[in-house]
Amino acid sequence: MRDARLKYLLVAPALLVLAGTLAWPLASAFWHSLHEWNLARSPSPTAFVGLDHYVTLLGDDPDLWRSARVTLVFTLASVATTLALALALALLLGGPGRLEAGIRTLLVLPFAMSPALVGVSWRFLLNPELGAVAALLGWLVPPLAGRPILADPSLAMVALVLTDAWHWSPYFMLLFVGALAAIPAETIEAAAIDGAGRLRTFRSIVLPQLRAVLAIAVLLKTIFSVKLLDHVVTMTAGGPGTATETLAHLIFQTAFRWYDVGYAAALAWLLAATLAVLAALYGRLARGAAA
Amino acid sequence: MIARPGPLERFVRALLILLVLLLFLGPIAWVAATAFKDPKDVYALRLLFEPTLANFETALAAPYELLRRIRNSLLVTGSTLVIALPVATLAAYALSRFRFPGGEAWSLGVLATQFVPPVIVAIPLFVAFRSAGLLDTPVALVLANLSFVVPYAIWMIKGFVDALPVELEEAAMLDGAGRLRVLASIVVPLARPGIVCAGIFGFVVSWNEFFYALVLTRDRATTLQVGLMAARTERGDVWEVMAVMGLVVMLPMLFLARALQRHLVAGRFAGALR
Repeated sequence: MRDARLKYLLVAPALLVLAGTLAWPLASAFWHSLHEWNLARSPSPTAFVGLDHYVTLLGDDPDLWRSARVTLVFTLASVATTLALALALALLLGGPGRLEAGIRTLLVLPFAMSPALVGVSWRFLLNPELGAVAALLGWLVPPLAGRPILADPSLAMVALVLTDAWHWSPYFMLLFVGALAAIPAETIEAAAIDGAGRLRTFRSIVLPQLRAVLAIAVLLKTIFSVKLLDHVVTMTAGGPGTATETLAHLIFQTAFRWYDVGYAAALAWLLAATLAVLAALYGRLARGAAA
Repeated sequence: MIARPGPLERFVRALLILLVLLLFLGPIAWVAATAFKDPKDVYALRLLFEPTLANFETALAAPYELLRRIRNSLLVTGSTLVIALPVATLAAYALSRFRFPGGEAWSLGVLATQFVPPVIVAIPLFVAFRSAGLLDTPVALVLANLSFVVPYAIWMIKGFVDALPVELEEAAMLDGAGRLRVLASIVVPLARPGIVCAGIFGFVVSWNEFFYALVLTRDRATTLQVGLMAARTERGDVWEVMAVMGLVVMLPMLFLARALQRHLVAGRFAGALR
């Protein structure tokens, strides 16, 4: 067979899968978003409303703006916490020794835990009556003793951010370890000979060398944070109240609790559009780093 | 890094490393230990306790039905891989060796799929599976899982195929072998590490998949991941049963950690796990 035809035959199964499980759902969700449709009341869309949902959403839907704010706060806090922790881990455990390598392998474990297990486990560990971490925290910080952490709006958000950082920092640690190893030892030695202290060396030699990788990490983690859903469902269910109701969780609730498919689809498209912008930025950065 | 670390610094480092291990592995160990605790010991926060297998018996019985959930998880994960790996290998080879109109856009498109939020895909899938009578079946989950495992596997395998020398294939074709022959007897064996790697990551992400399973299954086809939530009953959370399920969920990862770390270090970050 001619290569010209064969190549399309080879990608055809993959295209079919992606068309059926991604392209079609995305298009279909957009079509839903143009309709009034509550799945609990009707098996098919009840009315075509055009862009009405989007107008309502962007106009003054308090739920959207509230959950967008929650998502933004969570994203900023989790990106900063996760990457700071990951960088600290990389500096502590980035060495070439066997001990360091062994510990790095062990640290893959939290990352390999399923998001659902991580969420459920931390809900257990933070339980005011029988949570081991809650007990430990209460002992270390007496004002927290016996306090139901996940029932307090701000503490629940802090817990969610820290849980997410616990889950993701090992992954970014590995990314940073690779980047740190790529810094030539001579550069650092030269700085030491010139009398630069540790902190100075880190600030003026190491950090600038990490810039490209840091930029990629920030964007990648931002994307993961904006999408975050599993931890919220399993740990806080958006609560207490709506304190941790991220945009993704609001969409989940609207679609699968209230069955308001039309409105949920419009919300979901706003989220997907946000992510598309971030992904495009990521693509540019990643290509710039590779070149 | 340069100056030889003094004893104080070595001590601080050791202390920090211990703290890190406690922070990251302690919670996992605690949950794993809870699986073997009598409920009394769970409440008493005991470090030392008499291990029991009673929780496993509870988990095996209704309503938790551990075995059925394990079977579902294995069935869904296995079927996903059996379909995804061959499909992805063919596509990866084609994208690596042939020029397509639009050039790089194809590969970038494959990567872009990783940024689609599952919650938007789930809505039409739910609607479609509902009218097709596929809700609460493994088929629904396999289809949903393919949406992220296939692109991920294409991206990974393509990386490996890109690194293979074309000369071998050209020599074989001069000797009269067709493309498919070359693919089967030269490319696939040589790219095997890449396919294995994609298989490992594919296993991890579909074994760990929670959201589609939560939305698309109800009781017959529920996986272990959804089972974790089943320990939340009207009478409160049955943590020791949750811990049993959690232990089973994390078990394969204990064996895969080394392989995962190796491949992550190998620099295959571009595709990124969900």
